[in-house]
Amino acid sequence: MKRGAPPIVVSGAAALSAFGFGWRGLGRALRDRALKPAVSTQLQESHAGVLASELASIPAAVDVGDARTQKLMSRAARLGAVAVKQALDDAGWADAREEIGCFFGVGASGGSMTELREMLRASRDDAGFSLTRFGSAGLAACSPLFAFQLMNNFTLCHAAIQSGVAGPNSAFYSRGNGTLVALAEAAHALSEGDCARALAGAADTALHPVTFAELVREGRAQNGFVPGEGAGVLALTREAEQPLAVLEHCGFRGPGLAPSELVRELLEGVDGLEVDLVVLAPWGASARATLREAAEARFAGAALLDISLGLGDSLAATPALAWVAALDLLVSGEAERALILNAGTDAAVGAVLLGRPT
Amino acid sequence: MSAAVITGVGVVSAFGVGARAFFGGLSEGRSAITQIRSFDASAFPTRVAGEVPVITVDGSWLRSQLVGSSAAADSRLDEYEQRGAFRDRKVGFGLLAAAEAWRAARCGEAEKEAWLSLALGLEQAFLEDFAPLSAAGGVDWAAPPQTALPRVRLRSRLDLCAEVLGRYFELRGPSLVNASACAAGALAVAHAASLIERGAASIVLCGGADSMLNPLGLGGMSRLLAPSPRNELDACRPFDRRRDGLVIGEGAAMFVVESAERAQRRNVRPLARILGWGSTQDAYRATAPRPDGSAASRAIQRALARARLGPEAVGYINAHGTGTPLNDEAEAIAIRAALGAHADHVPVSSIKGALGHLMAASGAIELAACLLPFERGLLPGTAHHRDRDPRCDVSVIGERPLAARVEVVLKNSFGFGGQNASIVLGRAVT
Repeated sequence: MKRGAPPIVVSGAAALSAFGFGWRGLGRALRDRALKPAVSTQLQESHAGVLASELASIPAAVDVGDARTQKLMSRAARLGAVAVKQALDDAGWADAREEIGCFFGVGASGGSMTELREMLRASRDDAGFSLTRFGSAGLAACSPLFAFQLMNNFTLCHAAIQSGVAGPNSAFYSRGNGTLVALAEAAHALSEGDCARALAGAADTALHPVTFAELVREGRAQNGFVPGEGAGVLALTREAEQPLAVLEHCGFRGPGLAPSELVRELLEGVDGLEVDLVVLAPWGASARATLREAAEARFAGAALLDISLGLGDSLAATPALAWVAALDLLVSGEAERALILNAGTDAAVGAVLLGRPT
Repeated sequence: MSAAVITGVGVVSAFGVGARAFFGGLSEGRSAITQIRSFDASAFPTRVAGEVPVITVDGSWLRSQLVGSSAAADSRLDEYEQRGAFRDRKVGFGLLAAAEAWRAARCGEAEKEAWLSLALGLEQAFLEDFAPLSAAGGVDWAAPPQTALPRVRLRSRLDLCAEVLGRYFELRGPSLVNASACAAGALAVAHAASLIERGAASIVLCGGADSMLNPLGLGGMSRLLAPSPRNELDACRPFDRRRDGLVIGEGAAMFVVESAERAQRRNVRPLARILGWGSTQDAYRATAPRPDGSAASRAIQRALARARLGPEAVGYINAHGTGTPLNDEAEAIAIRAALGAHADHVPVSSIKGALGHLMAASGAIELAACLLPFERGLLPGTAHHRDRDPRCDVSVIGERPLAARVEVVLKNSFGFGGQNASIVLGRAVT
């Protein structure tokens, strides 16, 4: 945070996860209840029997857009748009949305497999797949707007379009740290006065068949990996009458050092590093042990909450859901100061410090 | 607060590999649009593109272009080739452009502390890999890693190019990948400048790489009806009355951006200063830009405000200028709204007619084109622009470059989905 600048505070939040469509109670639920993965419906056709942490159907009362708009959206884009709408409502930000910033961590592309299947079916001749048939008939078999589902910046853009958020913005590809970068940029935009209010968050799913197949292929879908999905958003501002929390620090480092060293480096210069809650947001199973080890070495007395154990791996969304889970525990009075650590497959580590407002 | 300067540039474009080819093509007012040759696009609705003149991007071609690689770097190249990384053409393009920028900025061991800030296009989906599995009666999704799937990449990771660059150059700084579609290139460079300015980094390797010249990429864009329906070499005609769509391009542009103090200490000549940047969102429609250009105009105004410059300071505008009917008109309105009467006097051009639309990398390669005025005293021309559309009420430079001395240039990049970015460059102080 820029020294001397007004503190950045959290005015509202949103979370969509297997625990439901709201953020209040998320941290407590994660603390009290173990993940109960169920057989994935979204992966049923491609990877039958995979246990997942899946959202229930999106209730009409919280959904965004009409049927045509929803067809344009990837799963992550739809989750992101719902989360942004909820965060704006939660913060009570109904006016001047054209000046609100929006910074998002986004994951992989998520085109409809039905469209892809139709495209491939129409692209076959007697000898199998034909590039000529693809050009002349396969393309015509899919929706003209298929490409919009593939563009992962639309995870941010649909949210902006649906909610009228038109300030400074950026989408960062995230395998963990990109989501932290989104928060850091939102905080910087606020510190610099580029905007007075900003949203920071992420939406992603590990339950797209291609994403999951690639996770399997890369050897990441093992060691307790439970594919999940979700979205988390914080509504940040420089001034609020009744802030929910204060964003005291946000930074990232890496690669090149051991995770414990990265965490130490990250937190150098942070005032009074006493925390009573550490929330871990690992991207993938290998990062889980890394973060736990770093946290236990440095913050032995603090309560430890690994949100991937409760929500599965929601990829880019995991850090954002962790911020919101920590916020819930702060707001409910169960913690005073929370450190949220994230790590991904890119050997980078990020840290966020949230405190209760004084 | 540190000022950010560009000290190295590298380019891979349809003009060929290297900044020399790029600046040469622009200086001569040439167009590099050709029939697509890297795969059989004869049955596709779109058959012309700004294609980098190489059929297959592989390790041997990359090694022939990379001079002076260390043994360790070569070995990493081999490793990535074995993993099929270069099937995604942008990975190789990004590597070559980065190597040129790195060399041009005379980066050495100390510069390995650099951060990466890259704009990278979508993951490349390997349609040709889906297809045989599908034809065999359904994708074998659950195949264990050691059987079918290693031979098959359903798609390459979006940040693969960043990983390759980070390991090839042994960079120690964090890696940031901007995924803001056509605005990403400008935003990635702006982010680099911001990191320098705020003191988070003192040197950043930044830019963009993209290639949609693969069956699904080209097909998807064609299906959107974004490309010109004509398959002529002048298919993209920015700001022209007859414009009817874009032409897809591919390539990469990379920069070394560092603090002015660091550049001075290293005795490296800055090519330009990065003075300001701004971004906004149209928040309008998924399929079209906001027609009144109001959000794009605010991005320009934000960039100028950050640069502490008035509209009258702008000497040249490198437009997003896609050649689509809606974009060019909205952009012209945005420029006029931001610059007021000064818009009558500012030359505007787009290089997309000559090189195509590089999507995520467009902002980066067009920012490289913005160095031409500083390096050669030339403002790039607008290939295939012959008859200005009166609804595009800006001073468009024609097909030939314009000789002029300017001190400040403005670059616009507007992305699918409504993301707008503008960035302001200034002549380096010598």
